[in-house]
Amino acid sequence: MIKKGQYEDFFIVDADVHINETPEDLIPYCDLPWRKALEAIVNVPRRYLNIPGFAPQFSGNRPFWPGGFDKKTVNTPDQLREELTELGIDIAIIFPDNLLLIATFPQREYAAALARAYNAYLVDQWADKREGLKGLLLAAPQDPVDAAREINKYKDEEGIVGVYLPCGGLHTLWGHEMYNPIFEAAEAAGLPVIFHSVLTLNTAFPFNGLEQFETEFARHALAHSMSLMFNMLRLIETGVPVRYPNLKMCFIEGGISWVPYMSMRLDKEYMERRRYVQHLEKPPSHYIKNFYYGTQPIEEPENPGDLAKVIELYEGENTTMFASDWPHHDFDHPRAILNSGLSKEVKRKILGENALAFFDIDRQGKRMRSHDKKGILS
Amino acid sequence: MGRIFDVAAAQDIPLGTHKIVTVKGRTIGIFNIKGSYHALPNICPHQIGPLCEGKVSGTLYRDKKTWELHWTEEGEIVTCPWHGLEFRVQTGECLAYKQVKLRTYNVTQIDGRLLLEI
Ligand code: FES
Repeated sequence: MIKKGQYEDFFIVDADVHINETPEDLIPYCDLPWRKALEAIVNVPRRYLNIPGFAPQFSGNRPFWPGGFDKKTVNTPDQLREELTELGIDIAIIFPDNLLLIATFPQREYAAALARAYNAYLVDQWADKREGLKGLLLAAPQDPVDAAREINKYKDEEGIVGVYLPCGGLHTLWGHEMYNPIFEAAEAAGLPVIFHSVLTLNTAFPFNGLEQFETEFARHALAHSMSLMFNMLRLIETGVPVRYPNLKMCFIEGGISWVPYMSMRLDKEYMERRRYVQHLEKPPSHYIKNFYYGTQPIEEPENPGDLAKVIELYEGENTTMFASDWPHHDFDHPRAILNSGLSKEVKRKILGENALAFFDIDRQGKRMRSHDKKGILS
Repeated sequence: MGRIFDVAAAQDIPLGTHKIVTVKGRTIGIFNIKGSYHALPNICPHQIGPLCEGKVSGTLYRDKKTWELHWTEEGEIVTCPWHGLEFRVQTGECLAYKQVKLRTYNVTQIDGRLLLEI
């Protein structure tokens, strides 16, 4: 049973936890010839989120210091369930660890094979295998047609509640028309998409610019939110929310204070340059307010009331979802929301209700499939 | 019914042009669009720029079904010279913010003179 302790009152959905999928884990699920490539790296020495041929970090040129925070991994569904229970979390949405870097692989077929292997492994070993563990399909941006096939293959799986669209080290920003098959398939399946970034130092914009900074302090400070901002801008520029009006979209792992900034900046620009984004039926802030956002790494302003103000600025009471990022070093405990200056009602929404609506599940984690019931596009 | 002012000779505002006139301390733009006359206040709702001094042209439109880009409303859109807000001259509608609509004035042409009602 889930231990609630001091959070008795709150039903908690965590929109972002990470499992540590290893090359060995994926070998049985990977097609030939790519399985051979995984077998070849089994004995290669590894660092955290840094495995040659599997998790290319591009960070080997910096000093490695002893000490610092723990680099934890989640290796089994039992371990994850136990840790979530300890944190007071009822339902968690699973992302990968190493394949957060999948967008950096130059070879299309390899990336697609890894995504297929991960999806098969996720469905077979994790999603719904313990109470409250739900999964997201991994879409390899290098092969949108294959990613769309994956969505169609698994769209009815009870354990699958959305599609993860990688942003870390992504060469062509989401929004480019090459990605249309993914958005089409996700919208038609009634599955939401989640943009999630990660720190890497490959040559893709804006990650290439991180070379300007000498330390992890600086590189980590803005990498995630900048990547989300640029992807959001590209999505709006190319009219993705207009073209796929029934597709729910969420931006995760950049905190939330960049959202009002983007909302106001883009509205200002829109005033002068509406005719370049003639497809928008409303100012950009309208679409930004309809996107969803994960809280982690949540801002912790000195005045706790400031967090409520930030959320108000993008009218995010119904679109902000608690995300822990467990077990990564910058994870947030639900306490970060519970101890904030938000009202009890808003805490309830952010901790659970908004995510239930976004992922279209009930408190048992059962898929509601409202989309099929409405018959939209199906 | 407002008051009528004789503001210009029709021949002073030929097809496709516009002119700013001052009536009772207000500046107003008179536009000749496809042979009919329209008038808008020369004050932009954004930061009160001289809206009617802007260029009259068309605008870009994207067909939502085919996603093709078109040039439309040629000669019917005035763009504020300050920051570029676009307005549909005949109706006063702002293209960016649909809830914003400028007031419009009636202009009639009698014996070669343009009569503005304010
Ligand atoms: S004053 Fe007209 S657009 Fe700013």
